[in-house]
Amino acid sequence: MSGLVVTGLTVRRGSCPVLADVSFQANAGQVTALVGPNGAGKSTLLKAVLGLLPGTGAIFFAGEDLTAITALIRAKRVAYVPQRSQLAAALPVCAAVAAARYAHLGWLGTPDISDMTAVDAALHAVDATHLAKRTFSMLSAGEQQRVLVARALATEAPCILMDEPTAALDVGHALALLDLTRRLAAGGRCIVIVLHHLDDARRVADRIALMHRGRIVADGAPDQVLSGKHLGEAFRVAPVPGGALGFRLLDGAP
Amino acid sequence: MEAFFHVSHRLGTVLAVLAAILASSVAMSLATGSGGFAVGEALFDLRLMRTVCAALAGAALAVAGVMVQGLFRNPLASPDVVGTTAGATLGGQLALVAHAALIGFLPVWLAPELVLPLGCLAGAAGALALLLATAGRSGGGLVAVLLTGFVITAVVGAMSGLLTSLAAGRWELARALTGFGLGGVDGKGLGHIALAVPLVGAGILAAWAWGRTCDLLLAGDEEAAALGVDTGRARRWLLAWTALLAAAAVAVGGALSFIGLIVPHALRPFAGVEHRRLVPAAALGGAALLVLCDVVARAVPIGAAAVGIQGAGELPLGVVTGLIGGPVFLVLLMRARREGTL
Repeated sequence: MSGLVVTGLTVRRGSCPVLADVSFQANAGQVTALVGPNGAGKSTLLKAVLGLLPGTGAIFFAGEDLTAITALIRAKRVAYVPQRSQLAAALPVCAAVAAARYAHLGWLGTPDISDMTAVDAALHAVDATHLAKRTFSMLSAGEQQRVLVARALATEAPCILMDEPTAALDVGHALALLDLTRRLAAGGRCIVIVLHHLDDARRVADRIALMHRGRIVADGAPDQVLSGKHLGEAFRVAPVPGGALGFRLLDGAP
Repeated sequence: MEAFFHVSHRLGTVLAVLAAILASSVAMSLATGSGGFAVGEALFDLRLMRTVCAALAGAALAVAGVMVQGLFRNPLASPDVVGTTAGATLGGQLALVAHAALIGFLPVWLAPELVLPLGCLAGAAGALALLLATAGRSGGGLVAVLLTGFVITAVVGAMSGLLTSLAAGRWELARALTGFGLGGVDGKGLGHIALAVPLVGAGILAAWAWGRTCDLLLAGDEEAAALGVDTGRARRWLLAWTALLAAAAVAVGGALSFIGLIVPHALRPFAGVEHRRLVPAAALGGAALLVLCDVVARAVPIGAAAVGIQGAGELPLGVVTGLIGGPVFLVLLMRARREGTL
């Protein structure tokens, strides 16, 4: 099994289950989108997979039990892009991205040429090389979001979990990021991405899991999941044929 | 890769400047007093001992400040503001009292300065653990950390006062407790230095080694854990090393305030916020600042005599650091309020 497999995952806050017996699968080489209304449990699911929230159930990646390994080893397997960073200190962007190499450093904790190359490549991939010397906390929300994506890429983890990475991005950078996720998946990575815009999910995902009230209510191909029945049940909306406002990246855009 | 080399080059300059300032401070310290450099060997040795003790205590407090500020993600935290210094002081005073009470049962070689660091360490660790258990659990917000630190300092300070009052009948012990509470490096000898050097050295090395982890903790537990940090283990170790540094500083310098707050703040614009850059800079800067404070403490009677006030005594070192650090802390607090981080 080369992807992420979650079976019977339950997470409680107090006595209230915020994830109830969730099972889903994200394959390597594919983009899997998690969609659902606010409070459906999408972010909670990502955090539970990362071991940031205690829960019961089985979480495997590439056949390895993620609940049975240390945080250091898990960081080499699964990378995370949060909705926003809590980093308020005046850390330079290059150092913020270099933090991604923490799990790869030797016992002296000194980065080598491969670490610096990974950081450079990650910054380049999200069009943020020019931000390297700037202070992370002084960047705009969109620039910070791109740096957070770079940080996840710099881990070189085969699985990347992204929590609404396009939320703060302008339309050009949002499309570029979605395009990047497609390329990462084409390179063999397993991408799980939480998205609010269903058009984006349809555009980027090979597979969509629709969450509602802590459960996965539909899981499969985009056209199958984003049907009137499921959308009505989860969002209380109905699709309008031809109603979406679509964009594409211009030729030569990063 | 250019960015990495650029910042490394700048750090070298910063460290060289700080080393030069420290060397000048040491020279000033050795020359301060009647006779300047032209004094007897014994007097020169005494000055040398107190200068080394001041440098060790200053370095330890400044590096402890860097770690506490990283631990609580809070630029206004420092070992004294969050109650660690007060805890170490009470622990040291309890050790002195215990030593005095059990003097008949203890081996002759077990001098008070040998048990003092153990008491300081226990006191500092207790105060930090209490802070972490209360303010740390609520996210380490600025107000929570400062208020909890204030309460710990007040309660522990009251206990120190009670202890000193109870010992009033034993003049020697009461004098030792009061002097320890005021802070100072006078009368320190080779024994203090031999005890402090390994503690301070180990503490600074540990702070440097944990620097990468501290950098990640700046982004909060969630992001740090996702990047591979075992946050619970990291916090326990950082707590232990911070307590060790604060305890070593209090053991050789008594209760000295604000060094751990001022030095990291003053150096961040030059050395950066990354802990592996800030720790060596803070060690040099803290050592230089406390040596200079000790020079000021000794220069007061000389200056007073020059303006005709005879018989003025040397200022306690803790008074000098408090007089300098208090206003700086208020300025930082007002800046935090202006920036909306309070």
